[in-house]
Amino acid sequence: MGQERFADVVERFTNGFAAAAAAAASPETIKQWQEEIDRNVRRLTNLGRLATAAEPRTGQTPREEVYKRNKSRLYRYESSRRHRTPVLFVPNLGISRPYIFDLLPGGSFIEHMTREGFDFYLLDWGVFGPEDNGLTFEDCVVKILPRMARKVLETSGASELTVLGYCMGAPLSASFVASHPEIPVRNFVNMAGPIDFSKIGMFGLWLDRKYFDVDRFVDTLGSVPADLVKAGFKLLKPTMDISTNLNLWWNLWNDKYVEGFTALNKWANEYVAFPGEFFRQWVRDFYQGNKLVRGELVFGGRPVRLGEIRCPVFVVGAKEDYIAPPACVHALIDAVSSREKDYVELPGGHISLIAGRGAAVHCWPKVSSWLATRS
Amino acid sequence: MAETTTEFFDMWRKQLEESTQAWTRMVSQAPPAAPPPDPMAFWRPVLNQGLEQWARMFAQTPISPDLMGQWKQLLDQWIEAWSRVLGQAMGTEAFAQQMGHSLESWLAAQAPLKKAGEQALEQTLQGLNVASRSQLTSVAKQIVELEERLERMEDGIQAILRRLESRERT
Repeated sequence: MGQERFADVVERFTNGFAAAAAAAASPETIKQWQEEIDRNVRRLTNLGRLATAAEPRTGQTPREEVYKRNKSRLYRYESSRRHRTPVLFVPNLGISRPYIFDLLPGGSFIEHMTREGFDFYLLDWGVFGPEDNGLTFEDCVVKILPRMARKVLETSGASELTVLGYCMGAPLSASFVASHPEIPVRNFVNMAGPIDFSKIGMFGLWLDRKYFDVDRFVDTLGSVPADLVKAGFKLLKPTMDISTNLNLWWNLWNDKYVEGFTALNKWANEYVAFPGEFFRQWVRDFYQGNKLVRGELVFGGRPVRLGEIRCPVFVVGAKEDYIAPPACVHALIDAVSSREKDYVELPGGHISLIAGRGAAVHCWPKVSSWLATRS
Repeated sequence: MAETTTEFFDMWRKQLEESTQAWTRMVSQAPPAAPPPDPMAFWRPVLNQGLEQWARMFAQTPISPDLMGQWKQLLDQWIEAWSRVLGQAMGTEAFAQQMGHSLESWLAAQAPLKKAGEQALEQTLQGLNVASRSQLTSVAKQIVELEERLERMEDGIQAILRRLESRERT
């Protein structure tokens, strides 16, 4: 282990490196290296663009506002309207904005549905302020949803409609469909909407009444500020930001990826507050009481029994969904009295089920083809 | 190309193991007599082993850009492993209880602060003869209520119209 030996080793290292360089000089390897260098150059270029890029234009599918009630809006999208039954899409209230469903041309659930010829309506719940802190889950089911459904029937001239609920929009619309038999609902679709809250996972544990005093929370804060909503969701998957940034660096050479990322990132950082009373009822009756699946809810004097849903039902769960795990979404199938009911479990998480490249391949065609034969 | 990269990684791992062994051997052997001071003596076996191994590795394996892919995979697995560990830790009753306690303490501190802040702001704005947030909120609430009343009236009129229509038909 003396100085002489060390010098020999260094010489052998240098010779070895030269040999390696010679071995690596195959045309295939050289091509790969060139590609890699090219990618890195593009990564750096796009990094600069990313820092200075203008906000992406989301929600580009043409639409018209057909009704508004306080902050909530009902939009009707342009389409060839090949199918007779219009679709009322009910997304989550609070948490995030609904332009995720019409993110970018070529990557939009709404664009897909309109291209498939559906007369598509979106209920945008809006961004609530302190004046709306008294709004409850019950108000949404009893006052807003029936009115929106009637507006859909009125403006489309149809005799029946399809109700499609996503995330929290699914229990909202399931409660509405179950308690409003006078509204002619032809089909009901639940996409990643929690139904049996005993199987909800981590949020269910954190919001358990043993550990979380929802009354004290709402009485103190009045509403659930957007920053707290953000903190809750970030905590659910703490490594999300790291993997998002790693994937961004890895795909930064790809202009299409960067375009999609900027739009998705804009959406992912735009959280929406919950009205206080809505949150109180949502946590107490659903997370803590699991009253929907137990049939213990009474809204506007009407009992909410999922067994009263008799129309064809389609339920879509996402395999890696940690916000609404598949088991808690699937529960709707056992709860309804429909003769025709189908369940599919697709790859992806809560968001990637409905937005992104995977959704365009796995989810959207399944939903549109199931509805096409029943509309 | 993936195979060569795996080989590359295996050799790297082997090299680390051999270096560690060499280092352990060196540390365990007591010097027979007091050697002349050599600041590199401690690290030389590791360095020699490493350089030899790298030389062999370079001579046998072409380095490919696929190495980046392997690195990304490694990071993905690492993040996934952390995510699973954190998920398991946060999915326990103990964590939920701790979080509940933290939230309780935060709310207990927040409530008086919020109240005092709101009162101070209210008084300041009143002094400046400017509408306060609570005043604006109450006006907005009245507008929302007014809108609801109009809707109820609209519903009532439509129900009457429907009834009249059905009577006309019969």
